Amino acid sequence: MQRTPTPASTAIITPRLFYALAVLGLFTLAIIDHLNSPALSNLGAPTELGNACAPCGAPCIDEKPK
Amino acid sequence: MSVLSGKSPQHNPAAAASVSPPLDKSIFALLLLFGILLAGLAGLDTGMTGLSLVILGMLLGSVFMGFQYGFASGWRRFLETGDGSPLSLHFLLAALCALVFIPLSASDLGPMGSLAPVSVSLIIGAFMFGTGMQLANGCGSGVLFSFGGGSGRMIVALPFFIIGSVIGSLLLPPILGWGSLGQIEIGSGMSPLTKLAINLALLLGMAAVFGWLGRRRGFYVTRRMLGATVLIAVLCWAVFWVSKHPWGVTFGFTLWGAKIASAAGMPIDQFTFWTWPGPQRALQHSVLSDTSSLMDFAMIIGAGLSAAATGAFAKSAWPNARQLQAAALGGILMGIGARLSFGCNIGAFLAGTASGSLHGWIWFALALAGSVLGIRLRSHFGF
Repeated sequence: MQRTPTPASTAIITPRLFYALAVLGLFTLAIIDHLNSPALSNLGAPTELGNACAPCGAPCIDEKPK
Repeated sequence: MSVLSGKSPQHNPAAAASVSPPLDKSIFALLLLFGILLAGLAGLDTGMTGLSLVILGMLLGSVFMGFQYGFASGWRRFLETGDGSPLSLHFLLAALCALVFIPLSASDLGPMGSLAPVSVSLIIGAFMFGTGMQLANGCGSGVLFSFGGGSGRMIVALPFFIIGSVIGSLLLPPILGWGSLGQIEIGSGMSPLTKLAINLALLLGMAAVFGWLGRRRGFYVTRRMLGATVLIAVLCWAVFWVSKHPWGVTFGFTLWGAKIASAAGMPIDQFTFWTWPGPQRALQHSVLSDTSSLMDFAMIIGAGLSAAATGAFAKSAWPNARQLQAAALGGILMGIGARLSFGCNIGAFLAGTASGSLHGWIWFALALAGSVLGIRLRSHFGF
């Protein structure tokens, strides 16, 4: 796509390019992690999401550290 | 809408400029591909729950991006100019969420509010988070949707946020016990209706006070942002119903960092935080099996699609080196702070206050105090 050159587009690595690479890397890692997880053994038998007691990273109510 | 129409206005640049901004086709296609993959994998893994959360995450990302619904900038506006209207909306958002969170938590239907202990770690963490979010120019959700929208600053802030949150997960267990009063619910022991009434009175009272402070300086809540607040509240209700917990952002970052550290050979699973049931399960399973992590991915896609559709990527440029340093420092501070204080503006402030948990209120006060320091530090980084 033709664009008028701007300081952003004339930079060697624009945020746009860096962003595309970062998103590509992030989602590739996520998919690799998913494919190597126990999730694949449960295909067709969906499991519950694992946030039962730590959605905010706080310890569980019945599992308070001493 | 030109984004979806067969005849693109880009064939006529002048018309395109006057009709609608250009669609960033390559970014849009990339994100659409990942969105479909994410929805497919989450659907296979966790069925309709996962699929629904992907859709809700994408909608939240799109709404936050479209309305530029920021917490950090709103708090800064209040501290710098006395404009209390953004804070008024944030408390209104919490009140709307409380309308659903508190009664449902008291029922036997399944969803539970967000409760966390009141402790020294909460105070330290919230203050650090407040400072960090002003340096990075965005809070947890802000970093996420701005990153999704291609912000150069957030491309730097997010990795440091992730690193900081892993450090925070290692620091939390030994600090957690310091001066801990345990979880304190406002209106605990009272009937659900009384508890709801007390919490609504507090939240709406704060919304009214900040609204009044803004009006005194000539600032008013706009209908557009009021609409955005209601829209976000409805999405938060849906997330609460589907995931059985209030929406949270930062635990996903911690999980991503822990997974990367683990893959790099660090025995992360042996640290106390990662032996607690929730984090342990998250670490052992897919990043798409954790609600916070799954919704973070979806929010990036939703914000990115929204930005690509409106041509926002063409506008973004790298901030200067000093501001990128501030983003990195802010990211680290927010990461550590989020773990020590059990979340960000979403997971701790919004979810906490809307659940009737005292920790959400303390988080707000300390993060606002931290914002004062953060705003002062911004001048050292050329803001």
